[in-house]
Amino acid sequence: MLQTEAYVMLSMVLFVLGAMGVMLRRNAILVFMSVELMLNAANLALVAFARQWGNSDGHLFVFFVITVAAAEVAVGLALIVAIFRTRRNINIDELNQLQG
Amino acid sequence: MATEVWLFILVGAIAVVAAVMLLLSQNAVHAALFLIINMGCIAFLFLLLNAAFLAMVQLAVYAGAIMVLFLFVIMLLGAERPGGRSPYGWLAPGAVVLALIFLVTVALALSQGGISDLQAPPAHPQLRVANLAADAGPVALRLNGSSVGDNLPRGGVQDYEALPPGEYELEVRAADDRTLLSGSLALEAGKRYTALVHGTGAPELSLVEDLAEAGSLRVFNGWGEAVWLVDFASELSDEDTVVLLSDIAPGALSDPLAVAEDADFSNRALVNGLDEVLARMGAGMNFDTIEDGSALLVLAPTRRFEGTLEATVDLLVTPSQASFGSPADIGLKLFNRYMLPMQIVALLLLVAMVGAIVLTHRPKVAPELERARLGRRRVSRPLTSAIASQLGQGGGSQDPDAAALPPAGSQER
Repeated sequence: MLQTEAYVMLSMVLFVLGAMGVMLRRNAILVFMSVELMLNAANLALVAFARQWGNSDGHLFVFFVITVAAAEVAVGLALIVAIFRTRRNINIDELNQLQG
Repeated sequence: MATEVWLFILVGAIAVVAAVMLLLSQNAVHAALFLIINMGCIAFLFLLLNAAFLAMVQLAVYAGAIMVLFLFVIMLLGAERPGGRSPYGWLAPGAVVLALIFLVTVALALSQGGISDLQAPPAHPQLRVANLAADAGPVALRLNGSSVGDNLPRGGVQDYEALPPGEYELEVRAADDRTLLSGSLALEAGKRYTALVHGTGAPELSLVEDLAEAGSLRVFNGWGEAVWLVDFASELSDEDTVVLLSDIAPGALSDPLAVAEDADFSNRALVNGLDEVLARMGAGMNFDTIEDGSALLVLAPTRRFEGTLEATVDLLVTPSQASFGSPADIGLKLFNRYMLPMQIVALLLLVAMVGAIVLTHRPKVAPELERARLGRRRVSRPLTSAIASQLGQGGGSQDPDAAALPPAGSQER
C-alpha cells in the first residue's frame, strides 16, 4: 500500500497550481476553473486520509464537497454571464468599481 | 504493490502536467480540456484509494456535468480569446514565490509529521440480543440499568447496536417486570456479538461471537443432549447419510461449516445420539438467505400448546459489513448519520439553481417604453420641449410617453 504522504503531497502540488492559477490568470472563467482544481486537490487529500483511518466518513465529506462545488459553479457562471452582459468583458482586473 | 506505485507515478504526473498546462494555456477551451484530463486522473487515483463510488461520481459530476457547463459558458460568451496585458503583471513573480514557500512548508510538515504511523482506533463492538427462551414470553432488556429493548417476543432478534468496549451487565425482565436473569458480557473492540437467551424455566444467557466471513454456518446447541448435523441425501436408505457436524455438546458452539452455493437444506436435520430427528432445517432456509453473511443456527426448546417441549431451529444471520468505500457503505452512512447534512446540501442546490436563474434573468422592458426610448434616440427633439418635460409642465406638441421616461443616462449601457 502506497503511503498516504505521497497522495497528500500530490494533492498539495495540485492545490498550489490551482492557487497560482487564481492569482495569475485574468480571465474570470479560468480563475473559476483553478478554484475547481483546488477543490479537487482537497478532495484527493480527504480520500487519502479516509483510507489511512479506514473510515469512510471522509468519502461522505468529498461527496458533499462535490455537491457544493456544483452549486457554486451554477451561481458563479451565472454571475460571469451577468457581468459579461453589462461590461462585454470578464477580465477581473477591470472589474474594480467596488474598490471605492 | 509495485504496480500501484507505478500507476500512481504515471497518473500523478499526468495530473500535474495537465494542471500546469491549465495554468499556462492562453485559450480558455484548451484550459477546460486540460482540467477534464486532470479530473479524470483524480478519479483514477480515487480508484487506487478504494473509493470506487467517488471515482464514478467524480467522472459523472465533475468531468461530465460541471465541465460541460464551463465549456458551454465559454462558447456562449466567446471568452476563449486571450486577453491583453495585465496592469498588475509585476505581481506574478510574488505569487509564484509565495506558492513555492507554501509548498516547501507543507512538504516539510508532511515529511516530519509521520502520518503513516497513525493508527485508527478499532471500531466499537456490536451487540444484539435474541430471545429464544421457552417459557419467558416477551422480555424487556436492560443493559447497565438502562433499557435497550422492550417487548422482544420469543424468536425475536434485535438489530446490532454499537457500544463502547468493556464489561456490561445484561438484565432480562419478563413482561410482569420480574428479573428472569442477569449476566455480565465482556465486549471487545472490533467484534460483533449475539447474546442468546435460551432454555426452559429460568433461561440462560450465552454470548456468541459472530463470524465476519460470509457463507459459513455454525450450530449452537441449546438442547439438553449432544446433537449431530446430518444431511440425508435421500430418505430411503441410511447409507448415503452424511454427518456434517458431529457431537455438539449441550451449550456448545460448533466449528464453522462452509456452505456450498448449491447446498440443499431441505434434507438437513439435527439428530441426537439415538438417531432421532430433533429438528429439520426449514424449507425456507437456503443459500440465498445466508449468501452475504454468516449464519448461526440455534437449536432451542420451545413450549408447545399442550405444554410439551419441542426442539426448534432458528437461523440468525449476521450480515457482512459493507466494504470500505463501496456504494452500500456510502449509502448507509448518507441515509443514517448524514441525513441532515444531505438535506441541507440538497436545499443549497435548489437555492443555487434559483439563484442562477435570477442572476441571468433579463428583466423584460414594457414594449411601449422600449419603443419610446428607441424613438427618442433617433429623433432629436426641440430643446424647448425637452426643458418643458424636465420641468414636468408638458408642452402641447409633446409625446406623453416620453415625459414619463427617466433621464436618458440611467438607461445607457
